[in-house]
Amino acid sequence: MPELARLSFGKEGDVELAHVAGEVDASNVAELTKQLLEAVSNQSRALVLDLSETSYIDSSGISLIFDAAARMKNRRQEMRLVVPPKSFVSEVLGAVSMSDSVPIDAALPEALRAVGSGGA
Amino acid sequence: MTEAGLAFLDLNDLLTELLQRVTEVLKSDTAAVLLVEEDGRTLVARAAKGLEEEVERGFRLPVGRGFAGRVAATRQPVVIPDLDNSPVTVVNPLMREKKVRSLLGVPLIVEGKVIGVLHVGSLTQREFTAGDIQLLQLVADRVALSIERSRLAVQGQIAQTLQRSLLPHSLPRLPGLSMAAWYLPAAEESAVGGDWYDVIQLGHRRLGLTIGDVAGHGLAAATYMGQLRSAIRAYSLVIDRPAELLKLVSRFADQEHSRMATVIYATLNLDTWVVDFARAGHPYPLLLRADGSSTFLTEASGPPLGSGAVGDYDQQRIALGPAETLFFYTDGLIERRGKTLSDGEAALSEAANAAPDEPELMCREVIQRLTEGIDAPDDVAVLAVRAVGLDDRLEVEVPAVAEQLATVRHLIRRWVTAKGGTDDDCAAFAVAVSEACANSVEHAYGPGDAMIDLRAELNDGEALVSVRDGGEWREPTGQHRGRGIPLMKEFMDDVAIETEDDGTTVQLRRRIGGAP
Repeated sequence: MPELARLSFGKEGDVELAHVAGEVDASNVAELTKQLLEAVSNQSRALVLDLSETSYIDSSGISLIFDAAARMKNRRQEMRLVVPPKSFVSEVLGAVSMSDSVPIDAALPEALRAVGSGGA
Repeated sequence: MTEAGLAFLDLNDLLTELLQRVTEVLKSDTAAVLLVEEDGRTLVARAAKGLEEEVERGFRLPVGRGFAGRVAATRQPVVIPDLDNSPVTVVNPLMREKKVRSLLGVPLIVEGKVIGVLHVGSLTQREFTAGDIQLLQLVADRVALSIERSRLAVQGQIAQTLQRSLLPHSLPRLPGLSMAAWYLPAAEESAVGGDWYDVIQLGHRRLGLTIGDVAGHGLAAATYMGQLRSAIRAYSLVIDRPAELLKLVSRFADQEHSRMATVIYATLNLDTWVVDFARAGHPYPLLLRADGSSTFLTEASGPPLGSGAVGDYDQQRIALGPAETLFFYTDGLIERRGKTLSDGEAALSEAANAAPDEPELMCREVIQRLTEGIDAPDDVAVLAVRAVGLDDRLEVEVPAVAEQLATVRHLIRRWVTAKGGTDDDCAAFAVAVSEACANSVEHAYGPGDAMIDLRAELNDGEALVSVRDGGEWREPTGQHRGRGIPLMKEFMDDVAIETEDDGTTVQLRRRIGGAP
């Protein structure tokens, strides 16, 4: 059955990878938040949220990112986003100056390198 | 109490009254009526006097066995002058408990078919005379007719009640799509058939649509219809492809019944309006185009259910365009005595083209026109789905639930595209309209049927979309919340929020199509 969005997880050492494919809006943001929080443990050093296959994100999805970033910061964990430039998501995140709060990389390998080097 | 229940009561009253009279006239101590079950092989005690326990205990016996079984099997009166020296084995222990000595039984026959047995008994030994036999048979003949009439009426009422309870009580309300369905029962009550339609909500992105027709009439047809309906509903939860679903339903049908049935199962994607359907011997769906032309969709084929033919089902796909209507129906609408099927199809497409666009009105008018002047029309079911027209003005109602947001975005993108908007224009309106609707959803007035009024219009290259609800505009609170308005403003040329006593209207404006 077609779902609005699918969330899948991976691991790269002690870095948690979360990949969101599809559309994020008020109808599925609560479920995505729950799954995301469950997946990121205290042991994880960092979370990379890969939005390169996210075709839509609304203000509730933006809140999810801000909330997750705040939580990660409290636990002294790092968080980065993967957003292809000129994509729809990039435009929306640009509109709310997301990069001021959470570092954004254009592709996954860059994000992983950046985590490895301990910052952008 | 239902009508069917009342009719049952009538039959009980009738039989009680009858047995009372029979015992009086024949001066017997007991009297009883047993009726043959639907299977034609079993007799069941239905009413008794002096042997009331026979009914209470639900006494049953196979046709051919025992006293009553012999009456039914031989279709002749049977007399037992003395139970203690009877050549016929009486199997009912009650006869001995009650110390019945002599018995006379006659068959209840309607149109050459044995429907039951009427018998009287005496506690003292008695020789039933030829006159007694004749009298009882005379009563039996009259009574048989009344029983059969009452039974048919009851079955007809049950079938009708069952039929009605199996049809959807209401159809889903969907942004950009309107639906209507209509079921017209057969003119004769006992002729209620197995026509049905069904609409199945498959998550929030898809609908399942069914129209079908079980051969035959009455309770058995209606019951089988219910089984097929449930089978399709169950399979629809796990099978996406209509052709695959019908193949399974056809296997189910072969196992259950030899009764024939025709059916169409379709899925409708609520975002893209793509319809996939498979057809098991059912009449072709009719597609009514925006320009007033129409066409029957003939590509999907496959055998009827229960035909014994193991067949594969093809699938046909169409994208329902703006202002197009897909019309499903059962053959009662197009089959006319002395007319060919293509005459019926031509009459249907003419009637549908002439009817109003709005599905509810269309269904009514098409049925009315095609059943007009027919003596005893067969039952008819119709189901129509129409996609909204993407004119310069668009007006739709949207249920105020978050699950509809994606559908609203698809709809507004379609409209903006149809009005010459660029990809950027589409994305911009998708964001702004979705944010405005999300706020309405969050502050929808109470649970249940809150609706959002969505209107779009194009004026000299500027698109104006208004989102109106019955609630108050409130920005979500919290440190990182409240990004709805900034997002709308970022993507629109102008955003106006107006709150009145009876609701909030958000007006979103942007020039589209690169208009200066």
